[in-house]
Amino acid sequence: MPRIGIGTAIGHHGELLQGVFEDRNGRLHRGLVTLPLTKLASKATFTRTTSTALIVYPDDKAKAGLAARKTLDQLDVHKGGVLHIESDIPIGHGYGSSTADVVAAIRAVAAAHTVQLLPSRISQLAVAAEQASDAIAFDGQAVLFAQREGVVLEDFGGSLPPLLLIGFKSSGGLPIDTLHLPLARYDSKEIQQFRVLRALIAYAVRYQDPNCLGCAATASALLNQRHLPKPHLERVIEIADGAGACGVQVAHSGSLLGILFDRAGKNLRHRAERVATAVQRFGFCDVDFHQINDDGAKW
Amino acid sequence: MVALDDVYFRALETPRMVSLSPNLLGAAFPLMKLMPARYILDRAAADGALKTGMRIVETTSGTFGMALALLSAARGYRLTLVSASSLIDAKYGARLNGLGAQTVIIEDHEGNGDQLRRLQRLEHIRREDPDCFWPRQYDNPGNALAYARLAEQLVRTVGKIDCLVGCVGSGGSLCGTGTFLRAVFPHLVVIAVDTHHSILFGQPAGKRLLRGLGNSILPGNLRHELVDEVHWVGAYPAFSEARRLLREHGIFQGPTSAAAALVGRWAASARPGARVAIIMPDEGHRYADTVFDDVWLASLPGWPCPLPSEPRLLTAIEPASDADWTRFIWGRRSLDQIVHAEFKKEGHSH
Repeated sequence: MPRIGIGTAIGHHGELLQGVFEDRNGRLHRGLVTLPLTKLASKATFTRTTSTALIVYPDDKAKAGLAARKTLDQLDVHKGGVLHIESDIPIGHGYGSSTADVVAAIRAVAAAHTVQLLPSRISQLAVAAEQASDAIAFDGQAVLFAQREGVVLEDFGGSLPPLLLIGFKSSGGLPIDTLHLPLARYDSKEIQQFRVLRALIAYAVRYQDPNCLGCAATASALLNQRHLPKPHLERVIEIADGAGACGVQVAHSGSLLGILFDRAGKNLRHRAERVATAVQRFGFCDVDFHQINDDGAKW
Repeated sequence: MVALDDVYFRALETPRMVSLSPNLLGAAFPLMKLMPARYILDRAAADGALKTGMRIVETTSGTFGMALALLSAARGYRLTLVSASSLIDAKYGARLNGLGAQTVIIEDHEGNGDQLRRLQRLEHIRREDPDCFWPRQYDNPGNALAYARLAEQLVRTVGKIDCLVGCVGSGGSLCGTGTFLRAVFPHLVVIAVDTHHSILFGQPAGKRLLRGLGNSILPGNLRHELVDEVHWVGAYPAFSEARRLLREHGIFQGPTSAAAALVGRWAASARPGARVAIIMPDEGHRYADTVFDDVWLASLPGWPCPLPSEPRLLTAIEPASDADWTRFIWGRRSLDQIVHAEFKKEGHSH
């Protein structure tokens, strides 16, 4: 019987889409589509003990600790353990560091009890621990996720198409505490517009069309300007258009922005570097290239 | 448990998608007006403006009234529809009566629908029963907002759309769908289809043989600034296209759908690299005794006549005959801008 379980979870680069969406009964829910980043990860190690105490290292990972406790309750285990979290995900910019810790912790606790939980169960535990979560428990599976309820509103039935993401931050972008942001209020026109954005993502996943994905991301970024505005977003969209990119994506409650390219596009390196130079010249910082769903192919 | 009456009406308001050529997609509705009717009634019920047992009043030439009648029957509203004698045939009236709707018919000897007198009559009814609900399909923003569902269906089917073609009556379907699509495809070309002697795009009002599009008043849901190009299709090319759609594609849609299809076909062949979508609002059953009846067609003056294979480009807006098909480059301008420009041009020529 194992006494130690290990769980990992990846980070993300904010959202491709965030808004309000209908479930199949016509009821509205806040929802989002996450843009996962596999090169950022959180790793949790859970060691079972015979006492009921739960000890967490580092001790500021309180949400991960709470998630571990809720997982133990879920498994009907009345003992505790020691949870270690090691993460290379920066905190507070929209990379999803908190959810990654929480999901890694849930997976580690389950593994220590030789249980593998479904992504839907992990998501519900994550929301129970941190109020609002993202869809990272689903890894590369593209879903429209109700972040405050931990339920899937639509499973797009596949992964996002291969992309090259040029990620960057607003200059001096300070970390943002997402739970203390006021909840966005959407009017009926915006709620109706979200239907079309959702349809674009469904099409992009089904037919592996990066351009439709980019259209949805850009429109969602623009709709978010009324709630958490990104300085110079219009200029970033111009830069992306000028380089023949698919679109612009933002962390809707963070400081990240990204320009999305079709991974199969021509002169990709040249165009990507041109975009990187242009955004840096405009004052954005921490420019980074991320390969998404291309199996790590050279480019 | 899913509410099944919602599922039923959602299915009935969902178009069937048809590929008319490699770059031409048609959204063929059984009853398009169910989409705005359901959205407007749902919103009103959610806001408390509409309660079971209340009366709904509306002025309508047909399909919006039919949509209201279906929903009223299912949801327990009383319905009064104000229409004109030239717009409503006995069978359609009987169907509405069978749904429990009360119809008030205005005599319009000129055959122009007499929208003004219908609105006056509606005002009178509202004064007598102040507690009734008026959906105001011409001016209610909910009419246009409802068509996000159509934009959603089109995108789920073909992804990017480069050109949208649709008829204009209230402006809801074309301007609603066009607004939501252009927000994600900024280069979308919007082509409006109207008919001669409709005032929507600056023609003088007059008798119209082709119904279901055009208007004798200006609805608030028509946003001229969205429109790149306007086509005026006469009744004869539309009737002929309705027969062609049936014969060559097995598609049984009404003449309004056919007018949109005619313009859509032209737009798709003029733009071979672009994906064109057309809105086809209702089925052909209502026209079985007219457009789809050879004897009725033969009774029309001048039928059969040579039909245009492409539209005639106008430099000044003017009405033409029911055998004609014309177009005008609108250029996303307001109606005021166009009327002003036309006036100036006339000033120069005299």
